[in-house]
Amino acid sequence: MKLADSLIALEGIERTYRVGVEDVHALAGVSFEIRRGEWVALVGQSGSGKSTLMNILGCLDTATAGTYRLNGTDVRDLSDDARADLRNKEIGFVFQSFQLLPRATALANVELPLVYRGIAPGERRRRAEQALAAVGLTARMKHRPNELSGGQKQRVAIARALVGEPSLLLADEPTGNLDSATGEDIIRLMGELHAAGHTILLVTHEPRLAARCPRAIRLSDGRVVADGPGGDVAQMNVTRAVGT
Amino acid sequence: MKLWRLWGEIGESLRIAVSSLVAQRLRTFLTTMGMVIGVMTVIAIVAIIQGLNQSFAAQVANFGAHTIFVDKFKWVNTSDDWWMMRNRKNLGFRELEAIERESQFAVAVAPVTRSFQTLRYRDKESTGIAVQGTSEMYPATSGVTVASGRFLVDVDVAFERMVVVLGSDVVEELFGTQDPMGKRVLLGNVPFTVIGALERRGNFLGMSQDANVYVPVTTFRRVFGQKRSITIAVAAIPGKLDQLEDELTGILRRVRQVSPEKPDDFTLNRQEQLTKLYNQLTGALYGVAVGVGLITLIVGGIGIMNIMLVSVRERTREIGVRRAIGAKRRTILLQFIIEAALVAALGGSIGTLLGLGAAQLVALLTPLTAAVTPSAVVLGLGFSAFVGLVFGSWPAWRAARLDPVEALRYE
Repeated sequence: MKLADSLIALEGIERTYRVGVEDVHALAGVSFEIRRGEWVALVGQSGSGKSTLMNILGCLDTATAGTYRLNGTDVRDLSDDARADLRNKEIGFVFQSFQLLPRATALANVELPLVYRGIAPGERRRRAEQALAAVGLTARMKHRPNELSGGQKQRVAIARALVGEPSLLLADEPTGNLDSATGEDIIRLMGELHAAGHTILLVTHEPRLAARCPRAIRLSDGRVVADGPGGDVAQMNVTRAVGT
Repeated sequence: MKLWRLWGEIGESLRIAVSSLVAQRLRTFLTTMGMVIGVMTVIAIVAIIQGLNQSFAAQVANFGAHTIFVDKFKWVNTSDDWWMMRNRKNLGFRELEAIERESQFAVAVAPVTRSFQTLRYRDKESTGIAVQGTSEMYPATSGVTVASGRFLVDVDVAFERMVVVLGSDVVEELFGTQDPMGKRVLLGNVPFTVIGALERRGNFLGMSQDANVYVPVTTFRRVFGQKRSITIAVAAIPGKLDQLEDELTGILRRVRQVSPEKPDDFTLNRQEQLTKLYNQLTGALYGVAVGVGLITLIVGGIGIMNIMLVSVRERTREIGVRRAIGAKRRTILLQFIIEAALVAALGGSIGTLLGLGAAQLVALLTPLTAAVTPSAVVLGLGFSAFVGLVFGSWPAWRAARLDPVEALRYE
């Protein structure tokens, strides 16, 4: 099934690491598609291969075999520089530990992707201010990360991910370092972004979060074991967890 | 757009570099010290040596840069030559007169003969005074100028008058603030009348040029003996020194009847020989001193490399984030090279200022002079920037080679 508005198309993705003399198959043939505007959770326990898959989807790592098309571009044959440009243009990263630059203000952090894209300073600043306003942080633009709460840091990170208008928001356990109330805020914000048309891939090990997403993909031992409505996949996760 | 990107990256790199240097003040200070000391050493040494060179050049010019000194002995010689030169026929008035008569390129010719005597005035005495027997032409060949009274004139020479012109040190020592004009002094045990005093000339190669006294050459020979060889100082038409040398060689060989197959039995001494000797002596010193400074700079560079490696390690995650956001390898490379160059340039600038200060201090506290030339400053700054780039490159390259996935995961 090829969809006209497919943003991510994976076919037979494998990723093999060599550990000593042994080959470890982190991903053993993963295929799925994500359409534009979808909000998909990628779930699985640690060791399931979801981090590896996320790195490949984020163009930080390349697959050993299989094809990955991002927004129509086959990623495999791209040079290191071309992948850097692709990340800059197409992907917005949100990390569990925020990963803000500690000595830069919120505004400077959000401007950074635009610096690497070669946007003029005035325009850069205007867009960064807009992105911060969109996550409700207009009042904190001049603050450094150590002057912000965890929730605020993650909002800055989301603003940074969105400022370049990427086609994919890649969030890796975005609530992992937050208390449940703040985490809930972030998930609600992602819901709003989804409603506004953003494509979001949420990597998580929490069934509770996966259940919130319209679609969830479950990995186990480097393979897709479930792909369907978030509620169903999350449910299955619980039964399996009970079963083992 | 490309330009904006580069400009943005450089601006971003500078901003990050400055903020990380400020955040690690003590570390920055210590790292910078290596460069500061290195650049300071180079600048100070170069300034002092160039100061020496300038004052030497000034002294040489003062001493008569256009003058050839015809002598039995070569100024700069090896001990092997000395006996050979000692056995040469003395130079005398025959040669002097031949030069006066025949030379086209000479503007002034003066005999100089010398003896060390004790000088007395009333109850004061100065020992080891260099008494020079010469003529009224001497000032034109040597650059001495009269401060008061007059120099010797032709009549003094012709009538073997018992008159003397004093160097400024001699005046100071024997007369203090008194006016020496017309006073009677004893040279050896012979009375002379003071007719003039000279302007101060300063030291030449560490020897005072102001402890000399001048008497008519004719008087000199009568009082202190005829036998000694004289030196003939010949001033050339400016720019014609080489022609004068050829001409003098011809005249002297003929007058002294040197057969064509034999070497000259006289020496034409020039200031240049002293300059050459001086350059040989100081050149080696210069090289060693600058070498030491450069080695210090390299040690400073290693310090920078060390601290940059630490910095790269500490900021591994930051590098991962930047790569994830879209920084290319060369962006990361640029960032860390700029940071290293900034540390080096900071050290270089402070070192330059301190070096100039140190040179001035040395000039103030010792007889040495210091000359601050732009080339020394350019050398210090340029070399420090170069060291920063060279020693910053490897850490920066390591940063650029980091795998983004590994870097993001780094704890």
